[in-house]
Amino acid sequence: MGEKTPRIYSVELNGAKDMEQTDKGDDKKYRSLRENCLELGKNHHKEELRKEVDLDDHKLSNKELENKYHTNIITGLSSTQAAELLARDGPNTLSPPKETPEIIKFLKQMVGGFSILLWVGAILCWIAYGIQYSNDKSSSVDNVYLGTVLALVVILTGIFAYYQEAKSTNIIASFSKMSPQQALVIRDSEKKIIPAEKLVVGDIVEIKGGDQIPADIRLLFAQGCKVDNSSLTGESEPQPRSCEFTHNNPLETKNIGFYSTTCLEGTATGMVINTGDRTIIGQIASLASGVGNEKTPIATEIEHFVHIVAGVAVSIGVLFFIIAVSMKYHVLDSIIFLIGIIVANVPEGLLATVTVTLSLTAKRMAKKNCLVKNLEAVETLGSTSIICSDKTGTLTQNRMTVAHLWFDNQIFVADTSEDHSKQTFDQSSGTWASLSKIIALCNRAEFRPGQESVPIMKRVVVGDASETALLKFSEVVLGDVMDIRKRNHKVAEIPFNSTNKFQLSIHETDNTTDKRFLMVMKGAPEKVLEKCSTIMVNGQEQPLDKSTAEAFHTAYMELGGLGERVLGFCHLYLPADKFPETYSFDVDTMNFPMSNLCFVGLLSMIDPPRSTVPDAVTKCRNAGIKVIMVTGDHPITAKAIAKSVGIISANSETVEDIAKRLHIPVEQVNKQDAKAAVVTGMELKDMSVDQLDEVLTSYSEIVFARTSPQQKLIIVEGCQRQDAVVAVTGDGVNDSPALKKADIGIAMGIAGSDAAKNTADMVLLDDNFASIVTGVEEGRLIFDNLKKTIAYTLTKNIAELCPFLIYIIIGIPLPIGTITILFIDLGTDIVPSIALAYEKAESDIMNRKPRHKKKDRLVNKQLALYSYLHIGLMQSLGAFLVYFTVYAQEGFRPSILINLRVEWEQDSVNNLEDSYGQEWTHYQRKYLEWTGYTAYFVGIMVQQIADLIIRKTRRNSIFQQGLFRNKVIWVAIASQIIIALILSYGLGSVTALNFTMLQPQYWFVAVPHAILIWVYDEVRKLFIRLYPGSWWDKNMYY
Amino acid sequence: MTKKDKKSFNQSLAEWKLFIYNPTKGEFLGRTAKSWGLILLFYLVFYGFLATLFTFTMWVMLQTLNDEVPKYRDQISSPGLMVFPKPVSALEYSFSMSDPQSYKGYIEDLKKFLKPYALEAQKNLIDCTGGILFEQKGPVYKACQFPVTLLEECSGVSDPSFGYSSGHPCVLVKMNRIIGLKPQGNPRIDCSVSKVGYLQPLVAVQLGLGASSAPKEATVECKIVDSPNLKNHDDRDKFLGRVAFKITMHA
Repeated sequence: MGEKTPRIYSVELNGAKDMEQTDKGDDKKYRSLRENCLELGKNHHKEELRKEVDLDDHKLSNKELENKYHTNIITGLSSTQAAELLARDGPNTLSPPKETPEIIKFLKQMVGGFSILLWVGAILCWIAYGIQYSNDKSSSVDNVYLGTVLALVVILTGIFAYYQEAKSTNIIASFSKMSPQQALVIRDSEKKIIPAEKLVVGDIVEIKGGDQIPADIRLLFAQGCKVDNSSLTGESEPQPRSCEFTHNNPLETKNIGFYSTTCLEGTATGMVINTGDRTIIGQIASLASGVGNEKTPIATEIEHFVHIVAGVAVSIGVLFFIIAVSMKYHVLDSIIFLIGIIVANVPEGLLATVTVTLSLTAKRMAKKNCLVKNLEAVETLGSTSIICSDKTGTLTQNRMTVAHLWFDNQIFVADTSEDHSKQTFDQSSGTWASLSKIIALCNRAEFRPGQESVPIMKRVVVGDASETALLKFSEVVLGDVMDIRKRNHKVAEIPFNSTNKFQLSIHETDNTTDKRFLMVMKGAPEKVLEKCSTIMVNGQEQPLDKSTAEAFHTAYMELGGLGERVLGFCHLYLPADKFPETYSFDVDTMNFPMSNLCFVGLLSMIDPPRSTVPDAVTKCRNAGIKVIMVTGDHPITAKAIAKSVGIISANSETVEDIAKRLHIPVEQVNKQDAKAAVVTGMELKDMSVDQLDEVLTSYSEIVFARTSPQQKLIIVEGCQRQDAVVAVTGDGVNDSPALKKADIGIAMGIAGSDAAKNTADMVLLDDNFASIVTGVEEGRLIFDNLKKTIAYTLTKNIAELCPFLIYIIIGIPLPIGTITILFIDLGTDIVPSIALAYEKAESDIMNRKPRHKKKDRLVNKQLALYSYLHIGLMQSLGAFLVYFTVYAQEGFRPSILINLRVEWEQDSVNNLEDSYGQEWTHYQRKYLEWTGYTAYFVGIMVQQIADLIIRKTRRNSIFQQGLFRNKVIWVAIASQIIIALILSYGLGSVTALNFTMLQPQYWFVAVPHAILIWVYDEVRKLFIRLYPGSWWDKNMYY
Repeated sequence: MTKKDKKSFNQSLAEWKLFIYNPTKGEFLGRTAKSWGLILLFYLVFYGFLATLFTFTMWVMLQTLNDEVPKYRDQISSPGLMVFPKPVSALEYSFSMSDPQSYKGYIEDLKKFLKPYALEAQKNLIDCTGGILFEQKGPVYKACQFPVTLLEECSGVSDPSFGYSSGHPCVLVKMNRIIGLKPQGNPRIDCSVSKVGYLQPLVAVQLGLGASSAPKEATVECKIVDSPNLKNHDDRDKFLGRVAFKITMHA
C-alpha cells in the first residue's frame, strides 16, 4: 500500500480504499497476533488457539453449517436443544480473570511483611509460658497476654490491609460492571429476545445497526452491514460485512462477525459458531491473563525495606540472645528479651500506614481523573520513564475539527481548541459567502433534537465524523444551520460513495429575486477540481488557468502534509432557462451538468490535539520521561500530531526530513543527526529485536504509526529491555496483553473496552494525556513522602530497642515494656506518619529525572543510618534522661539501678532498699517500673514530635517549606499529645496497659532534646544545601 | 530454573566479594580508607558530643536531688510489711521441732537480722521513752533506740532457738521504711492468729503451737491497723500494710 498511497493522506469520507488495503496487505498483522498469542500463551493455550484458527465455518455452505450445528436456519434451534447445549458449553460470557480466592488474599496479608516476625514473637511468648507453667503452676500469665496482643496486632493490621485492598478493588468492580445484553434469537421458529449469555452455538441471531454482536457469528444474510472491529484489530474504519466467503483467514473473511464488536449500520442474520471464552475475544482476554504481571516497583521497594528491618531485628535479636545466654541469663528470659527486641525493631504500624498513604493518593488521583485499581500502581506512575501513548482520544480530542481553509489563494487557520465559540479568520470575502453556503448545504449530518442549551461543540450529531465537523463548524460561523437548510430547500441529492468520491445536492435558494437552483458539491479535491472550469477569487468567477491550478495543488499538498483530511468544494447556479422551478431532478440519470463547475475552496480537518497536551508533553520531557506515540493512524497524520503536541519537538528532524532537506537518499543520511523517528508497523515487523532496541535507544523522539495493537506489546517489551518503567495507554481488547505487560497499564475510561479496563492498573476517566502527567506528579510525591514516613517511623525503633539492650547488659529495671512499645507503634505514631503523605513537594519534582528502578531505593543506606544512628540515638538519650529522672526523684539514683534487675524483679523481695534506704514492696516497684515506662514513652513521644517536624523536608529548611503549610502535621502532633495524655491520665489506672499517671513536669524533660534534634537536622540540611555533592551531602542526604 | 538460580547465586557471591573488597576502587565494605576514616571521625566527634551532653544533662538532673530526702514519695505512700526469717518459698515456714537442722536456717537469719538491734549497735542513738512521736528539725538527725528486749521471748536473748525447739516459733514482722512518713492515729500491727502485742517498729509473733506430736499448721495474717493514712488493703499489693504467712510444724 505504501507505493500506492501518495504522500498526502487519503481524502476519504467513507472511503473504501482503506478497506481494500486491509483486505490485501494486512494478512501479516493477523499472523503477528497469532504469533504473539502463541508466544504469550502457555502450551495448553497453543492447542486451543490452533483449533480456533483452523476454524472453517466461513468456508461452509449454509447447508453444511446446518448439519454441523444441528440447527435450522429458518426455525432455529429448539428450546430443549438450546438448553442442552447451554448445559454443555456454559453461558455465553467471558469468564472473569481468575481471581485469587479471598481467603488466600487474606492469608497473604496475615503472613506478609513483618507479620512472620510478629507471629514468631507471639509463638515464642506462648512457648515461654508453656515452659514456665510446666515448672511452676502459678507463673504469671504476662507472656500469654503479650503473645495474644502480638497475634492480635498481626491479625488486625492484616484485616486492615485486606480491607483497604478490597475497597480499592471494589471501586473498579462497580465501575466495570456491564449492563446485561440482549439478543434477538430465532428458536422454535419464533423470534425471541433473550439475554445474550443464554446464547448457544447453532442459534440464529439477528443484529441491526447499533447492536453489539452477541457472539462469534457466521453471517447468513446481510444488508448494508458494517461493523466496527477496532476493539479487536485496532482498525478504526468501519468494515463491511456480507455473507460471502472472501478470505481463507477466518479473521479476515467478510462473513464472520466477532463477539463484542459493534454493528454500525445495516442488518444481518447469523449463526452462532462460538460462545463465551471460545470466541476470538475470549481467547485474547484469557491470553492476557497468561502474561506475567510484573511486580510493581513500590512492592519491590517495600520488600527491600522489610528485608532491611527484619534483618536488623533478627540479627540484633540473635546477637543479644547469645549475649544474654552467655551472661548466664536463663534461656527463658533470653527468649523474652528476644521477643522484646523483635517487637521494638519492627515498625508494626508502618505497612498499614503505607497502605493508607497510597490509598489517600489514589483518592487524590481519582479526583484528577486517574482511577487507580492497584494501589501500588500509584507510585509506579511516578517512576515511569517511558510513556507509550495512544494518539486518538488520548493526545487528540477524538473528533474531526476543521483546521484550515483555503480560498482566495490563501490559507486560513481555524480555531481547533476544545471550546472554540467563534472563528476569527477573515470572513469578509465574497468567496467565503459562497463557500460557507456549500459547507452548510452539502451536508447530511444533523443535530439530535433538544440540545439547544448544549454548547455547539458538545452536541450530539447524527452523521459521520467529517460531516459532523463541518456541521459544527458552520453552526459556529453561520448560526442556525438547520434554518439555512430549511430556507434552501433540498430538491435532489447524491450521497457520498467511494466510487464517486463526492457528494452533491441541489437546492432552491432563499434568494427571492434569483430563482436559479444552486448545485453544491464536496469531495476529494482532485475529483472536485476535475469537474470545474472556473474558480472563485474574491467572490468573482475566474477561468481556472494553470497558475490557479498550481496554487490549488500547493495548498492541497501543504494541508495534506499537515496530516489533515482535505475536502474540495464547488458549486454551480443552474441556468433558470434550462432548469425551471418545476424541473424534476433525477439522481440516477444525472439530468444536470456535472462539469464546468466553479471551484470555491478547500477545507481541511484533523482530529486536533487536546489543548492541555503540549504542556503535558513538555512537563514529561522536563521530568525526564520519554513520550512515545503508538498509533494505528497514518504516519503523516501521526507525525503532524506528534509535532503539534511536542512529542517531536520543533527543531528535531527524522532521517527522512534530513534526506529531503539535503536532497540526498535516505540511506546516506547520518543517523546520528536525527533525533526523531517515525517507524511504521510494516518496518517494525521486519525489525529484529536488536534493531528495535537500537531505535529505542538512539532516538529520543519516536512515533510508531500504522501499528497493530499487538505490536504495542513488542514495543513495550523493547522499552522494558532498556530497564525503563513503562506506562502504556490502551483501549482495545487487543491492547490488554500490552497493558498487562507494561509496568503500569492505563486504560481509557471513555473509549476503553471492558477487557482493557480489566487488565489495566489504572483507568483514565477523561482519556486525557494530561491526566497521566498529574498522576506522575502524584506518584513522585508519594515516593518522596513515603521516604519521609519511613524515616520517621524507623527513628523511634532505636529508642525502643536501646532499653532492652541496656537492660540486658547493665541490669537496670526495664525502661519500656513491650506493650508500651506497641502503643507507640500503633498509637501515637500512626497519624503523624500518615500526615507526612500530605506534605508538599520540596522543589519541582517534575524537573528531575525519573528515579532509577535499581539505584534510587526507597530506603537507602543513608536513610537507615541517619534514622537509626543519628536521630534514633539522640532520641534514646532523651528518653533515658526522662527515665533516670523519674527513678532518681523517686529515690533510685542511677548508680543504684545498675545490676538491680534480679532483686528488683523478685516477687519475694518486698523490702528492696533505694538510695535513701526506703524499702519498696514488689508491687510498689512494679508500679514505679510502669511509671518509668510511661516516662520513657512520653520521652519518645515528645521527641517524635520534633522528628515529625524535621521529616517534613529532606533538603530544604523547615522554614523554607513552611512550618504551617501542611495543617495535617499539626493535627498529627495534637493527636500524639492527646493519645499520650489519654494513656497516662485516662487509662493510667488500668493495670494491664502498664501506664501510670505521670507527674506533669516529666512531660517536659525531653523537650531540650527535641529542640536539639530539630537544630541538628537543620544544620544537616544547611550543609547539604551549602555543599552539594560534598562528602556531607553524600552521607547525610537520604 | 535451577541453572538460573545457580547463576544468580554465583553472581551474588561475586557481588558480595566485590563489596567486601573492591581492588579497583580500593574500597573495603563499600568505602575507601579515606572515606572510612572520615566517617569514623565523624561518629567519634558526634558520639563524643552526645555522650558529653548526656552526662551534662544527667548531672543537672542529679543537682535537683536532695541528699537526705527523695524528691517524691508518691509511689510509696504507705509501707509494706515484711517478715523475718525470710522463708525460702512463698511465705511458708516448715520445720520439725525435734530436728534442729530444719530450723537452723531460720534462727541464723533471725540472728543476722537482729544484729543491728543489739544494745552495743544502738549505743549512740537517743533513748526515746514512751514511744512518743516527735519531729526533728535537723541538721543532725538522731534515731531512737529500739531495745531488742522489747521482743521478749523472741529477742533471742533468753531463748537462742527463738522458740523453735519448744514449739513456740517466733516470726518477726517489720514495717518497711519510708522517709518522712508520719503515721496518723495510733497504729499497731494486728495479727489475726495470735496477738503478742504492739512493738515499734518490730513485731514479734510467737505461736503457741504446743509440743504435741501431730503436725500443726497455722496461717497468720498481720495488718497495720488504727492509722487512717497507712493502708492495709490493696488488691494487687499483698504486702501493703499487711503480710500473711503460714507455719507448719512437725513434731
